[in-house]
Amino acid sequence: MPSKMSSQTGLSRLGAQLAPILIVCAIVFALPLVLNNDFLLNKVARYLVLGILTVSLALSWGFGGILNLGQAMSFGIGSYAMAMALKLKTVPVHTGPGGLPDFMVWNNVARLPWFWEPFKSLGFALAAGIILPALVAAALGWFIFRSRVTGVYVSIMTLATMVVLNLVIIDQQSYTGGFNGITDLAQLEVFGIVFDTYSRATFYLVASCVTLSLLVAFAFTRTKAGLVVQAIRDHESRVRYFGYDVAAYQIFVFALSAAIAGLAGMLYTIVMEFASPTFLGVQLSLSVVVWCAVGGRQSLVGAFLGAVLVAGMQGALSESAAFLETWTLIMGALFVLVVLFLPKGLAGLAHDIWLWIAQRPHAVQDTALGVGQTREGST
Amino acid sequence: MDQFIEQIVTGLSIGSILLLVAMGLSIIYGSMGIINLAHGEFVMLGAYTAWLFQSHFGLGLLASLVPIFIVVAAIGWIIERFVLSLLNNRPLDTILATWGVGIMLQQGVRLMVGSELRYVQLPQSLSDSMDVFGLSVSSYRVFLFTVTIALFAVTWILMNHTTVGMKLRAIMQDRSVAASFGINAKRVYGLTFAYGAGLAGLAGALVSPLKSVSPDMGTGYVIDAFMVVVLGGVQSLAGTVASAFILGELSGAIAFLQNDTVAKALVLLAIVVLIRFRPEGLFTTRVRA
Amino acid sequence: MTPYLELRNVSVSFNGFKALNEFNMSVSKGELRCLIGPNGAGKTTALDIICGKVKPSAGSVVFDGTALEGLEEHRIARAGVGRKFQVPSVFRDLTVAENLEVARAHRPGVWANLRWDARRSGRKDIERLAQLISLTEHLDRPAAYLSHGQTQWLEIGMLVAQDAELILMDEPTAGMTAQETRKTAELFARLKGKHTLLVVEHDMGFVKAIGDVISVMHLGQLLAEGTAAEVEEHPEVRRAYLGSGGITNA
Repeated sequence: MPSKMSSQTGLSRLGAQLAPILIVCAIVFALPLVLNNDFLLNKVARYLVLGILTVSLALSWGFGGILNLGQAMSFGIGSYAMAMALKLKTVPVHTGPGGLPDFMVWNNVARLPWFWEPFKSLGFALAAGIILPALVAAALGWFIFRSRVTGVYVSIMTLATMVVLNLVIIDQQSYTGGFNGITDLAQLEVFGIVFDTYSRATFYLVASCVTLSLLVAFAFTRTKAGLVVQAIRDHESRVRYFGYDVAAYQIFVFALSAAIAGLAGMLYTIVMEFASPTFLGVQLSLSVVVWCAVGGRQSLVGAFLGAVLVAGMQGALSESAAFLETWTLIMGALFVLVVLFLPKGLAGLAHDIWLWIAQRPHAVQDTALGVGQTREGST
Repeated sequence: MDQFIEQIVTGLSIGSILLLVAMGLSIIYGSMGIINLAHGEFVMLGAYTAWLFQSHFGLGLLASLVPIFIVVAAIGWIIERFVLSLLNNRPLDTILATWGVGIMLQQGVRLMVGSELRYVQLPQSLSDSMDVFGLSVSSYRVFLFTVTIALFAVTWILMNHTTVGMKLRAIMQDRSVAASFGINAKRVYGLTFAYGAGLAGLAGALVSPLKSVSPDMGTGYVIDAFMVVVLGGVQSLAGTVASAFILGELSGAIAFLQNDTVAKALVLLAIVVLIRFRPEGLFTTRVRA
Repeated sequence: MTPYLELRNVSVSFNGFKALNEFNMSVSKGELRCLIGPNGAGKTTALDIICGKVKPSAGSVVFDGTALEGLEEHRIARAGVGRKFQVPSVFRDLTVAENLEVARAHRPGVWANLRWDARRSGRKDIERLAQLISLTEHLDRPAAYLSHGQTQWLEIGMLVAQDAELILMDEPTAGMTAQETRKTAELFARLKGKHTLLVVEHDMGFVKAIGDVISVMHLGQLLAEGTAAEVEEHPEVRRAYLGSGGITNA
């Protein structure tokens, strides 16, 4: 006799997982109705974007078992793609003769470098912001996973690669804006809508992308490929003996994660109105790991909320140095506690509490069933 | 010819600093499998302790070296006991936990001492320059090089010619077998981590006169130290020495030809490629699977 | 008749220790072959060689006309080889149903598995399998909550789901009760014919009950081969492994 409590139907489990996502997205969309302050909404938009970035890490780490310590690299590539396009759209005030960005003029660059040319097309830039990080990740993934590098070394390699790109961007300042990044950007204009950083249009753009990323990531986890990826996280070598090309799956989730991070990067440039090498920095990349761990890396919503709330707290406290430093100290301690005792983060803790509450009325019924099962089994 | 010698000397100088910082990391990683991202903070703590002794107790750098070692080693021991010992067989989690501890240490220092730059004086006796192969080199740098080699020798002797070192090597080979012979792995781990931390603290104290002391000075060192350890091979002290000086020379040479940034980028790239083809580093012998 | 699975002069060393020393074995299609021998004889290594976990230093492994030595593990699996490991290896964080789903790997490519319907279609088969391995109540619980015996059964169930032509079993009844062992014997009897089974075992009662042909290994080589009766009488086998009491006394 099947136990009533242990198996929910497939559809109800789908609903249980989809519901938190839809609720969070609804709340995000409803925020402008509650917070009628453009300045505040802009700040919130910033944290929402960091939330998308953290969701992308959760996909790679929580579901795929790949701890990408250089997740910010994909984020940075996306942000620079958008920044380059928007820089080229600035009116000649910021652009030198021949359409050169100001910093190039100051660095005595004669002609627009070849890799800037395609970004004159906004369509290209929008596609590049998502596809370029994915391609880079796929190439890096091919390099790492085909040779069966695992565990710690993967993380070291992703971090080192990001630092290399960071250093290259800083070094080649005549072509990339170097240390200062790319500033003084035009506003994004698509289909007649101007996405000024303080406008509602931008906020709704971010909100839409939050919804899109969460749904795409969720959809992936629900496919069989998503299931295989989780099996790989669980026991990588065992999966091979069922016939799956493990490296191919790892490369795929790695690239998908990078694409979502790239999207977040593009949004970040719009919201912040600049792109800088810190977007590909160790500080940001490791912060994402902290947010993801604390929020719950095996939960897309958990990771999202972890980022929004923690980054938001940091932002809110940035007014006072003392508060900020203390907050960071507390975050460090919380992070250590989570690593030691709560591998599934606060979301996992919430889930466990929920399960415990939901199952208590069935405790007595379960014992009776337990006895019944033993008798059945011994015939 | 002169330029060549100058290159070598610069490389040796950079290398000795790298080795100083990487030695503790290598021992910790090699023997315990712990990737200590807080290592940079131990360096930072050593530097701050040196500053503290100097500004509040008037103690010179040379005199305070031993107390600094003890202080930072004690902090390391506490961290191992209360955080790391809970993370057996979870190498990825040790990266995260030590990163968190590093954040806490950095913030602790910021809150207690403030973020302004601090300065440590060069010892009077070493503030002039010496003649090395016809070149004028700062005496302090020569001192640094000498101390580094001496510390390496001490560490080597400890590892290979003392009972404690033997116990550690036994545990590195096979923890459960070692335990069945009565070796208390927990205690040995605690001492080892403390020793590694103490070495880092010494490194911090010794480099503090060369640059300013700030709460975030450790981050740069930890990444460099990692590259040294990864290149040199886990569980190989000799490998660490070799790779520290190789990387020192390499960085120096590339920095001379291009610039610092490119040097760092190329070295990192080389390491990424190396890990892919030879994850055990350049100097480890293949251990039986 | 050409053998379905043939290992010819397979040798492999681990740091000087010769685990397999010119090992030869042939298995016919549909057979249920048992592989027995003392510890260290090379039984598990033989399975490791076939499924690709270990690469031989010499010799060849041919399965249904395909040379397996040197191929990557997943290619060998796709050629029709399934492996059950000595230590039950299931995906502990996934549910029992999800474990079985992963095992149903008839379309192993990434792109094929991105299709939305790739999961729904198998639920009926999985429920039937779950009944076969008595894990129906646990279908939607994480595999980590299963007992040792149940985990063994799950892995066996996964092998059935994988539906490989050649199934390698490494001590499938380890840790099982007598009743569970009996059930395993029944299942194997049903599987053979359509599948070819190669079973490494220590439980001699089990071996006698299910095995058509028994291969005895010793020191990395094939010592003897034959029916249970023949093997029992074999002087070398008695000396090396079974003792004078015969198979049931081993």
